[in-house]
Amino acid sequence: MSQINRKKNNYKGYMLITLMLVVTMTIAGILIFFFYINRFRTVTDANWYDHYYVMITEDAKSSLWQTAYEGAYQAGLENNSYVDLLNSSFDNNYSKEDLMRIAIASDVDGIIVAADESTEMTDLINEAAAQGIPVVTLYSDNTQSERCTFVGIGSYDLGREYGKEVLEIVQEKQDSGVQISMQPDEQNSISLTTGISNPVKITVLVNAYAQDSGQNILCSGIRETIEKEKQDGIEIELSLVSVDDTNTFSAEETIRDIFMENELPDIIICLNELNTTCVYQAVVDYNKVGQVNILGYYDSQTIIKAIDRNVIYATISIDTMQMGRFCVDALTEYNTYGNTSQFFIADIALINKENVALYLGGEAEDEE
Amino acid sequence: MKNKLDRLLNLSLQGKISSIYILTNLFVCLVNILLILGMNRMSNEMELVYQDNLKLNELLAILDDVQNNMTDYLNAKTSDSLEKYYRSSQDYQALVEELNDEISGSAFDRMKRNIRHMSARYLEITDQTIEAKRGRNVEKYRIRYENATQMYDYINTYINSLNNQQFKNNSANYNELAQAFRLFEMIGIAIILVIIFMNINSIIKLVGAIISPLKTLAKSADEVAKGNFDIELLEVQSRDEIGVVTGAFNQMIISIREYIERIRHGMEVERVMKEKELLMEAHLKDAQLKYLQAQINPHFLFNTLNAGAQLAMLEGADKTYQYVQNVAEFFRYNVKKSNEHVTIREEIELVDNYIYILNVRFSGEIHYEKKVDPSLLGIEMPSMILQPIVENCVNHGIREMAGEGRIWLSVYQIDDTACISIRDNGVGIRQEMIEKMIGGSYKEENLKTDSNGIGMDNVIARLKLFTESEEVMSIISDGADKGTEFILYLSVKEREEDDV
Repeated sequence: MSQINRKKNNYKGYMLITLMLVVTMTIAGILIFFFYINRFRTVTDANWYDHYYVMITEDAKSSLWQTAYEGAYQAGLENNSYVDLLNSSFDNNYSKEDLMRIAIASDVDGIIVAADESTEMTDLINEAAAQGIPVVTLYSDNTQSERCTFVGIGSYDLGREYGKEVLEIVQEKQDSGVQISMQPDEQNSISLTTGISNPVKITVLVNAYAQDSGQNILCSGIRETIEKEKQDGIEIELSLVSVDDTNTFSAEETIRDIFMENELPDIIICLNELNTTCVYQAVVDYNKVGQVNILGYYDSQTIIKAIDRNVIYATISIDTMQMGRFCVDALTEYNTYGNTSQFFIADIALINKENVALYLGGEAEDEE
Repeated sequence: MKNKLDRLLNLSLQGKISSIYILTNLFVCLVNILLILGMNRMSNEMELVYQDNLKLNELLAILDDVQNNMTDYLNAKTSDSLEKYYRSSQDYQALVEELNDEISGSAFDRMKRNIRHMSARYLEITDQTIEAKRGRNVEKYRIRYENATQMYDYINTYINSLNNQQFKNNSANYNELAQAFRLFEMIGIAIILVIIFMNINSIIKLVGAIISPLKTLAKSADEVAKGNFDIELLEVQSRDEIGVVTGAFNQMIISIREYIERIRHGMEVERVMKEKELLMEAHLKDAQLKYLQAQINPHFLFNTLNAGAQLAMLEGADKTYQYVQNVAEFFRYNVKKSNEHVTIREEIELVDNYIYILNVRFSGEIHYEKKVDPSLLGIEMPSMILQPIVENCVNHGIREMAGEGRIWLSVYQIDDTACISIRDNGVGIRQEMIEKMIGGSYKEENLKTDSNGIGMDNVIARLKLFTESEEVMSIISDGADKGTEFILYLSVKEREEDDV
């Protein structure tokens, strides 16, 4: 009898074919699945959060507010809260007041607002507080309202920093007085060669609200520092120029107006990012580099580069990221304990020619 | 797996081929269904892309209705507009409540949440406005109307913004989806092509695997048809029809080989037998021919001698009678027995006769002694063997020596062999001569006149044929004048078989 012998090869052949079929089926399955997943992916980034805060700023696109928002957003995620920059939700440009009304009507869990001292703002903050929505004022305060916290910078300290820089500029000008006198510019050469007794003019660009306490404290900080530490024989004139920032684009026009006048200040101190940029541009446009010294505000890349080019003398770096974080911390604290600290002060740092290299190139970094 | 394969191997040919086709078709079908499902799903998805936008538009339209109806009512205070207002505000509420109310990571969801809250607030204000209008509180409803209008503007803007952003996003999604759809289409076609290719491939392979034993079978059958039976047996790989045919084919090959072998063996045996017979006959014929050449017609001689014997008896010459009788007997033996096998007894009797005749002829010159084991006398042997040997002894041994010639004949048994020894005391034979004689190459040139014509070579050849063995005789001679001994070896068994 012939035995039934099966070849191993035959087995292998069958198995190979079966395997190939299985493999293709799997690949097809995976592909189809991949496509389904791909479709669902658009929906799946939904996490759910406990609290919803909105941030209302003046100019959502400036790097100061972007950084502040970033800090708030990160802090929010850590506390399982979501922070929205309300400005960016709308296609049209609503005013801060409109946005406040929208936020109140939206019944959010907290509002972070770059306030001002207007009564309308006060009313709105009070309305929000009445509805049980805590409001944190950021960077600029509304002292009359029932806001729960102000997160900003130490205005007096800032004023002192500016005062010191002013004195430094005056000192430098004194030392290099002869050199400057040789410049063809009539006005300047006369003023400095005729002696130190000529008062050094300083202009501080303030916003439209005279009752802004932060601003006032800052100005007195400058004043006191100068008075205390100036050398004898030097007269310094400090004047405040109110920049109308209630309307869009008005700030830039006001600043240009200063340069149209005959008497130019020796030093211009700017108290916000936009003003700094505008003054910087005006100085360049009117060819007043070296004649007008700028003390800037905030450390955007434009400003840092200007320092590097000797157009802006110095600027203040604010830890805006920290500011943003403080806002959310304050709101979290308020929502948890019903109360929170009245003030949060963010760190500031001075940037001038000596340390500008640290800030150049990279993003506006915070100095700890 | 192995069981499945076993089952597959055990299917019939039709079953196998059918199952291959069914499986491959099913597979193509399955893949097609999957692809169609995927495409269907994707086209559904594409239809849904702008769904959100449509909903938002609806929401906007109803919001418009609410605002307009409220304004109408404030203007004219008709019950119709009031009814319309309530209806639209209810619709709006229903729609708004479908919106998301959770704080989600998705910006759209959060906007929807805000719109929902704002809308609730708006409806609250519009309701209050209507209340105030009904109460004819002019101051109140004017302020509330302004509030409501502001809120309406906000919501309108909000919805529009959301709509806009979502539209942008959806357009991007749509493009992506459309691209993915196209890619999916291509991949689908590619998969189908690959599957079809693989199916064709596996069908060819599987059918080939099924058919290949048939091919080998056909090849082997062809070989067999050409007459080559020495092919390798085929392996039976499956239990289908081909397996059965292959098994049967193998069986057939084995049987044919067996038959051929048997026939060949039978033919071989027959051929050997025939050859032997022919040889035997040839030798006998040779012997007879020589005998006839040497003698005159033995019948005539025999009859003549018989007549002589009767004459001698009539005359009372007893010795003469005895002598003639012996001579007659001797020749009769030659006539009678030359063609068949005889017993040792008969051969010895012939030798007795021969020696008697010689002794009469040569007046008792030869002393003849016999020592025979009677139990061996019945053994068969060829005729005309012993007498030629004795004649050889007499002619070559004794005749040429001086003195008294002696011949000893003895028959004895050693083991299974009967030995017939014939010894003389003659001149002996040289060793090389012995070897020639045993080898059969020795031929006597001319037979002596006294010989009956049968030489030693003939004797030895016939003995060899008879016993079918080479060891039939040994010739011992110790040297010159020391005599010669011829010893014949016959098998005892043959006799016993014959006895049985």
